[in-house]
Amino acid sequence: MKRFTRIFTVVVFLFLYLPMIVLAVASFNKGSDIGAFTGFTFRQYGELFRDSTLLPLLGNSIIIAVVAALISTILGTMAAVGIHNMRRRPQAMAMALTNIPMTNPDIVTGVSLALLFAFAGVMLRRNSIMGFGTLLIAHITFDMPYVILSVMPKLTQMDPDLEEAALDLGCTPVKAFFRVVIHEIMPGIISGALMAFTMSLDDFVISYFVYGPNFVTLPVEIYNYTKKPLQPKIYALFTLLFLVILLLMVLMNLLQLRDARQRQIRKGGAS
Amino acid sequence: MKNKLLAGPYLLWMVVFTLIPLGIVVYYAFTDSMTGSFTLSNLAKIGIYLPIFFRSIGLAAIACMICLVIGYPVAYCIASVGETWRRFLSMLVMLPMCMSFLLRTLAWVALLEDTGILNHALSLLGIGPLPLVRNNGAVILGMVYNYLPYMITPLYTVILKIDPKLEEAAQDLGCSGAQVFRRVTLPLSIPGIVSGITMVFVPAVSTFYISQKLGGTGTVLIGDVIESQFKTAYNPNLGAALSLILMVMVLICVGVMNHFSSDDIGEEMMPL
Amino acid sequence: MAKELIRLQNVSMQFDGETVLDNISLTINDHEFLTLLGPSGCGKTTTLRIIGGFQTPTSGDVFFDGARINDVPPYRRKINTVFQKYALFPHLDVYDNIAFGLRVSKLPEPEVDRRVMEMLEIVSLRGFQNRKVTSLSGGQQQRVAIARALVNQPKVLLLDEPLGALDMRLRKDMQNELKRIQQALEITFIYVTHDQEEALAMSDTVVVMDKGCIQQIGSPVSIYNEPENAFVADFIGESNILDGIMRKDYEVEFFGHRYQCLDKGFAKNEPVDVVIRPEDIDIVPPGGGYLSATVTNVIFKGTFYDTFVDVGDFKWLIQTTDFHEIGDVIGISLDPDAIHVMKKSQYSEQFGDYSSYSAEYDEMEEDPEGEADEE
Repeated sequence: MKRFTRIFTVVVFLFLYLPMIVLAVASFNKGSDIGAFTGFTFRQYGELFRDSTLLPLLGNSIIIAVVAALISTILGTMAAVGIHNMRRRPQAMAMALTNIPMTNPDIVTGVSLALLFAFAGVMLRRNSIMGFGTLLIAHITFDMPYVILSVMPKLTQMDPDLEEAALDLGCTPVKAFFRVVIHEIMPGIISGALMAFTMSLDDFVISYFVYGPNFVTLPVEIYNYTKKPLQPKIYALFTLLFLVILLLMVLMNLLQLRDARQRQIRKGGAS
Repeated sequence: MKNKLLAGPYLLWMVVFTLIPLGIVVYYAFTDSMTGSFTLSNLAKIGIYLPIFFRSIGLAAIACMICLVIGYPVAYCIASVGETWRRFLSMLVMLPMCMSFLLRTLAWVALLEDTGILNHALSLLGIGPLPLVRNNGAVILGMVYNYLPYMITPLYTVILKIDPKLEEAAQDLGCSGAQVFRRVTLPLSIPGIVSGITMVFVPAVSTFYISQKLGGTGTVLIGDVIESQFKTAYNPNLGAALSLILMVMVLICVGVMNHFSSDDIGEEMMPL
Repeated sequence: MAKELIRLQNVSMQFDGETVLDNISLTINDHEFLTLLGPSGCGKTTTLRIIGGFQTPTSGDVFFDGARINDVPPYRRKINTVFQKYALFPHLDVYDNIAFGLRVSKLPEPEVDRRVMEMLEIVSLRGFQNRKVTSLSGGQQQRVAIARALVNQPKVLLLDEPLGALDMRLRKDMQNELKRIQQALEITFIYVTHDQEEALAMSDTVVVMDKGCIQQIGSPVSIYNEPENAFVADFIGESNILDGIMRKDYEVEFFGHRYQCLDKGFAKNEPVDVVIRPEDIDIVPPGGGYLSATVTNVIFKGTFYDTFVDVGDFKWLIQTTDFHEIGDVIGISLDPDAIHVMKKSQYSEQFGDYSSYSAEYDEMEEDPEGEADEE
């Protein structure tokens, strides 16, 4: 039984990674048909780096992801602390609000923001306000709940006496936060920030409804692209991104492993 | 003393960029695209789109069930291996979620096409070419493939939290392996199942890319219709009405699902 | 002459409509070791948190050195706290934990160093300064928590069940240690506990609390010997509590017998509660006008026997060094100073009958959860 489950798991992982393997192989393909491998080459990678459209788009994606992750990490962490200190009912309401973008289909979130921005454009007497600003707002909106949901458990796990001890020893609430609380919830902040970053980096559905022609992100371009024949250098880009994200995740994993170890030591010491 | 006001900017943001936009969706849904006056005609068009709604729900529900059946043993297996492997495997589950799902879906097209990799391989065996793409099956496959990680992750998190002593206790009380699973492990994983189903169903029922690429003319989903109202047909009022119906439908589904579990959605999505 | 340091005046506290403290007034003197004693949920931790500044009373005033401090935040009070589970900062080592308060108030580093090292000496943790707090034993963490609070030279140290997490032996050692530190540094200690033995052993003044009200304030001896109501009598030590009638000054009647006692000032024929401590009862041969009792159970307790006897349908506990067989009939003799008469209160009839006795009676009040649910 156990053996069967393990074999089954391996098969499922193959299923999950099969398309990625296909894309990675295609990135080294001499021919441009993804379905037929005609010979090995690094040419696509060379072309990718000489390319003047894809890389700036990737840059756009990274800029949006970094800025959105940064702002949503700050606002989200603040919010998590605030919500944590609320009484039960307002807390439940705030969490319900947090759950809206998590539960709503992305397409509805995208459509609703598109209508808001169209409406705002009319109010501002502008033809369209879609662009960097609207993309950033949309990304921050769907990033913040991830930050909150990853910081909140750390706040709940934290011994509330720690904050009071800092106040007791002369810290103002602000000092107590930066000297004590932030150290305790840091793993949550980091994983929230990384999650926000990756969500933003790969978001297509919501971005698709709120982007403007002068600021396009990579996933949106890939979508618009795939209506035309696809350029093989995108496979090279995909493969490189895969490696970068793999690296990021390993890093995140190591951080968590460290956190878990420390927690274990702490438990052992107190008993 | 403690500062609840820190949540202020966030709450204000969420009201302006979540609640108000949803209000605008409602407003558009009830107004005429030409005259801007109140109308129910947008919502009344649901009659035309009913088959598409049903198809979306049907395909998403099938995909959901397949994800559950495939995902549960995998989640169980990941939860039962040692810590280092566990972390590595759960990372491998999450990784695809971070990669361009557009390209990964396109890779499936390349695999399934009449002249694609699989049919090429089959032709070497003398089978073939099978119509693997542009049908309901391909759309379901695309959904399962894209959203399976969203099923495995919450399941894994919940199964991991089950105290192994409970399973031992069940054995001690005379349960066989299968009984332990049915009477203890499975009931305790219900919160994970519920949030897994929610996390697969919601994006699957509203997708438009998967059906565009892997489906054919007979597999138009409600997401495709909404997308086209905003991007090509430009009838945002109808699009808003369909979005509203979709949203209400999803809310009902999620509400019904959550009825089975007191946990908030999303919580299990934070496995770390 | 004792000088007043802290005064609570008509302090009440409500959480979500539930009254946790009901109109409490209390004066705490300088250099005093005062203990708030009571079962969980009695309001003792809330009282401590109000003094520490972590909670603001719903009504009433708190004075410190004559000044009203209701709205002074904890970081501006000359009061430090030793928390129940220590609340040591896990990201700092022993030295940095103790230095925390001094550094927050921006003392020059040489001064910080001098005082931290001095404090390490006082709590016998020299050589531990660079250890991670997570690697310390419970007792050591406890000492760090005390040092971290005391190094700021507070006027008052608040201790919230500080020994609750320690095992029995360590607990006794730390009791002596705390008393020694309090006397050496001459500061006021306000100590919260549910352990009556701890309270009696360490305190100058004990404040017995229940249901958000102060039941009695007094020295350990007076609390034990002259409990004011059935709750205090039952909570502090073991007590047989009987219904009696005060016939006149210095004479009380129960079980149809009239006894001489030391109490006066009651109305004629006023119903009262009578407390008789199990160790104050003398066993004599039956007959001769004494109350007669039948032994129903005997438990060996090391230095004495817990002997349970039936007097009519009332079950008494007697602690005696003499052994009596189950079924023996004995006589009960009571000296006037063994009998304490109390006014009837809301607690009458609730305590004092040992018919529902369980072998763990002396651990019944030990509630490791403390008052965690109070918020």
